[in-house]
Amino acid sequence: MKKKVLATLLAAAMTAGVLAGCGGDTAQTPAAETPAAETPAAETPATEEAPATEEAPEAAAPAADDAIANLIAATTGPVAMTVWASEEDQDLTTKLLDQFKALYPDVTFEITLGAESESTAKDTVLTDVESAADVYAFADDQINDLVQAGALQEVVANYTYDVAASNVAGAVEAAGVDGKLYAYPMTADNGYFMFYDASVFTADDVKSLEKMIEVADAAGKKVAMCVSDGWYIYSFFQGAGLQLSLNDDGSNTCTWNAAGGTDVAQAIIDLAANDAFVDMTDEEMATQIAEGNVVACVNGTWRAETAQQAWGDNYAATKLPTFKVAGKDCQMSSYSGYKLIGVNPHSKNLGWAMLLAEYLTNEESQKARFEARGLGPANNAAAASPEVQSNPAIAALAEQAAYATPQRVGGKYWDPAKTLGQILASGNPDGTDLQQLLDTTVEGITAPIE
Amino acid sequence: MKKTIKSVIRHLVLLFLSVVWLIPILWLFVTSFSGYKGINTSHFFPETWTLDNYAQLFLRPDSIVQYPRWFWNTFVIAAFSCIISTILVLMVSYTMSKTRFPGRKGLMSFSIILNMFPGVLSMIAIYFILKTMGLTNSHLGMIIVYSAGAGLGYLICKGFMDTISTSLSEAAKLEGASQATIFFRIIIPLSKPIIVYTVINAFLAPWADFVFAKLMLNSGVATDWTVAIGLFNMLGKSMINKYFSVFCAGGVIIAIPISALFVIMQKFYVEGITGGSVKG
Repeated sequence: MKKKVLATLLAAAMTAGVLAGCGGDTAQTPAAETPAAETPAAETPATEEAPATEEAPEAAAPAADDAIANLIAATTGPVAMTVWASEEDQDLTTKLLDQFKALYPDVTFEITLGAESESTAKDTVLTDVESAADVYAFADDQINDLVQAGALQEVVANYTYDVAASNVAGAVEAAGVDGKLYAYPMTADNGYFMFYDASVFTADDVKSLEKMIEVADAAGKKVAMCVSDGWYIYSFFQGAGLQLSLNDDGSNTCTWNAAGGTDVAQAIIDLAANDAFVDMTDEEMATQIAEGNVVACVNGTWRAETAQQAWGDNYAATKLPTFKVAGKDCQMSSYSGYKLIGVNPHSKNLGWAMLLAEYLTNEESQKARFEARGLGPANNAAAASPEVQSNPAIAALAEQAAYATPQRVGGKYWDPAKTLGQILASGNPDGTDLQQLLDTTVEGITAPIE
Repeated sequence: MKKTIKSVIRHLVLLFLSVVWLIPILWLFVTSFSGYKGINTSHFFPETWTLDNYAQLFLRPDSIVQYPRWFWNTFVIAAFSCIISTILVLMVSYTMSKTRFPGRKGLMSFSIILNMFPGVLSMIAIYFILKTMGLTNSHLGMIIVYSAGAGLGYLICKGFMDTISTSLSEAAKLEGASQATIFFRIIIPLSKPIIVYTVINAFLAPWADFVFAKLMLNSGVATDWTVAIGLFNMLGKSMINKYFSVFCAGGVIIAIPISALFVIMQKFYVEGITGGSVKG
């Protein structure tokens, strides 16, 4: 009996201990958060005051200085922030962060830099918005979802420069939803075009895809494109004048199965039937370019370095070529995209986060990003600099821009489009009726959002 | 003659199976010595050989690849979870196997049913609970989660303890031994093989876990990660061409602690199983 009492007591003591442990934790957490939580409250006036910048553009500079001064004055204690930048951007961002800290020597910063690719930022941020980074980079096609989930702070005021006026119009449009600005444009090069080896192709050859394939075939080399991917296969259908657009509710409108659709599909099958035209992923392309098998490819600025290393002085880039649809030459279209930096509204140091986002995307930072990684700036002044203008990849992108459309498409698009690409690239092995194939694809693309 | 043919066929089948099993591992191993950093599927063996990938892994950590740090994080998490889970499992098994108390059967069935409930389903709930306690992005939180439910997985261990004759513990009890004495002096020394099994299992689960770690360690800061997340991250679209062979090197290294643990424990394992069978 005595033992039982003892056991019960012990069990009770342990349970109490566990509960006390929890209690201690919950009690501690808010306490630890309190000083930080005070900061946004104190900062709000500073952010509110900033609209002065917009109202009185002529007095912009002093007003902005005031806003920053207010922000500094309202800051007590260290400013802790997390920044997410893509893996390749780490070195540059570290440098920029150091410069940013040096700008405000009176403030103690505790900035943590995390790695998160722009292409997957949405998925990671939306897993738990509250614990996501204060400032993060993302690709512009994710903006609708991010805004809907309340993961982006609206940019109502600027501290150091006018974001809307100093970036290219397309980028500003891409950074906004319903006319409100939600992010800071960082680069304007998230699109694709044609890279080629000038020792194999002449400037005339690269005007038509058929000609390119012919030349490559004669040289025993390959032209590569990632046909089995919605992002790239869009260029054929859009180029032939078929439509794909995003509806307000997040579903898509698609006319790929309308008249002429089967001709495009047949054209892709015909292209893919050539041995010299290969469907491969971006990663594979990098290897094959380095190996010397691929002498031309449809890809974006992120592959510029690989191509330049492999082809040396013969490295060249231009707009996408034309391709034959039912005997007629059609210019291939493309997606144009931007990379943006957004601020998390759950940030505990909202004012600082916005100032930092501004800094990471200002003219100097965009220039530095171009110099370090060859990424096309969205900033007007930076884009107009002679170094940027003379970069072949950026020039090609600018040439392609006339045929490009901004990437506005709902999530239902990707999988059916990819499947279509796979089937067409492998030459329609089951012999499915092309109209039926397109009907199925369009049905998948336009499926309502449940 | 017939025998030879049969033996040849058998060996061919075995050869085929071993090739199927070993080729991926061999590929991982040789690629880890490749001089080319990206992925290259046009050759099985690398064109240039180098030890640089291993050097990069350990000597030149950058903002993305923090291998020594990941290794240490994972090791600490796995080691502590392993110790705690093993203790819990042994305690529960002993209680269920060697003691009798009201509600024992019901409790056993209840815990088995609870254990069958897939943990993945409760992951989001666990995440938010830990978040309110400030334990996300913390290794302590991960250790708690990995070891907390361990006691429910007592079934195999209890089954083993059931085979240890009750007369042993009864005899000890008559001599005046307490439950603790019976547990430490009699049951534990006789349960070596099952302890080894429990230790290896309890170590492997957190060591190789990806899903839960990915959910918990979401700060994006490379120094917080475990090896599984770090290696996964190295295969990202923008990273794979710079880090693939380094990834392979990381994959080879990750096998070392598991193999070491197994080699150390193996002695007891084999001994225990044969010892047990003799007792019959």
